[in-house]
Amino acid sequence: MALILKENECDALREMGNIGAAHAATVLSQMLNSQVEMSVPEIQVVDISEAHRYIDNEVAVLVIFQIQGEVKNGGYVLLHLQTGSALRLTDIMLGLPSTAREFSESDRSTLMELGNIMVSSFLDATANLLGIMMIPSPPELTIDIPHAVFQSLLAMEGVDIDEVVLFRTELTSEEHRINSNLMLLPNPPMLDEIIRILNQILQIST
Amino acid sequence: MTTESPEQSCVRIGLGELHIGSEPMVCIGIGSCVALIIHDRERSIGGMAHVMLPSSGANNGKPGKYADTAVNAILSSFGDRVSKNGNLLAKIAGGACMFNTFSHRLNIGERNIECIKTNLQKHRLKLVAEDTGGTCGRTIYYYPEKNGRVFVRRADGSTLTL
Repeated sequence: MALILKENECDALREMGNIGAAHAATVLSQMLNSQVEMSVPEIQVVDISEAHRYIDNEVAVLVIFQIQGEVKNGGYVLLHLQTGSALRLTDIMLGLPSTAREFSESDRSTLMELGNIMVSSFLDATANLLGIMMIPSPPELTIDIPHAVFQSLLAMEGVDIDEVVLFRTELTSEEHRINSNLMLLPNPPMLDEIIRILNQILQIST
Repeated sequence: MTTESPEQSCVRIGLGELHIGSEPMVCIGIGSCVALIIHDRERSIGGMAHVMLPSSGANNGKPGKYADTAVNAILSSFGDRVSKNGNLLAKIAGGACMFNTFSHRLNIGERNIECIKTNLQKHRLKLVAEDTGGTCGRTIYYYPEKNGRVFVRRADGSTLTL
């Protein structure tokens, strides 16, 4: 099964992600009480055997949410944080002096909560645009190699896939040296549904 | 401390791919996948597959992707270069269960391992070493010309040689 996205579908997906990510960036900015820069979102159709070119291999914090709601098993939203960034973030949120250390239980729950708030607003904004319901599952936090996480998520799909659509945008705070990525990995039924709705919206607006 | 060749100088084996040769190879970022290595100790060559799923079903396009086809695919890729089975050694690493809540029902990692082991037995290949299971991702290097050494770096920072 080859995934082909038309150029206007790519644009529509990017715009959808853009709106969602902007909401997530606002949340992060409020948490940090500081400016957060957001990169232009990338939409890529990735051959899974090439995934290691797109997905980082440095051990990092990943807060993962399954998309639930109208479309069952709709895919995943991932918040990716470099380990140093993740520790600085929890220090700021908990009002602690910045220290280099191992992740504690309170770091983990703080990051899950942050992920929860950011991803909820990402999905809320996206779902509003599409006029469907999308709810994040409870968060799953792992500190591991992102490619290994990505691969394990794909293997759980139950369908045998060779390509995936990957949406990614980078959120950074220069002041606090925080670097994070928000990634959306829609499953094929969810992707079809999103594209169908976006096409409708595009037709109405032209 | 063991120094490893940089990843750039190794052949990178992507999800579902396999490679045969004598040059260093690497499977980067393995979670529930399994790196399957069949080493020919007489000729110092071998094959490495990045196995993703237990069963191929109808899809035969990528034999390295599935536990039930990868062993056979490596053996047949050896072609004329193959030694007697007695000179072939198998090693596997991976098959972790990375999530607490998502993957309970499936446990793909465990099924990948089981299925590979069954297929190794079928071909009477000796499994000489493994680093499987757990909850941690791994990066796995294979050096056919260094006696088929396999080096595993786990995401928690620990390392081991198989």
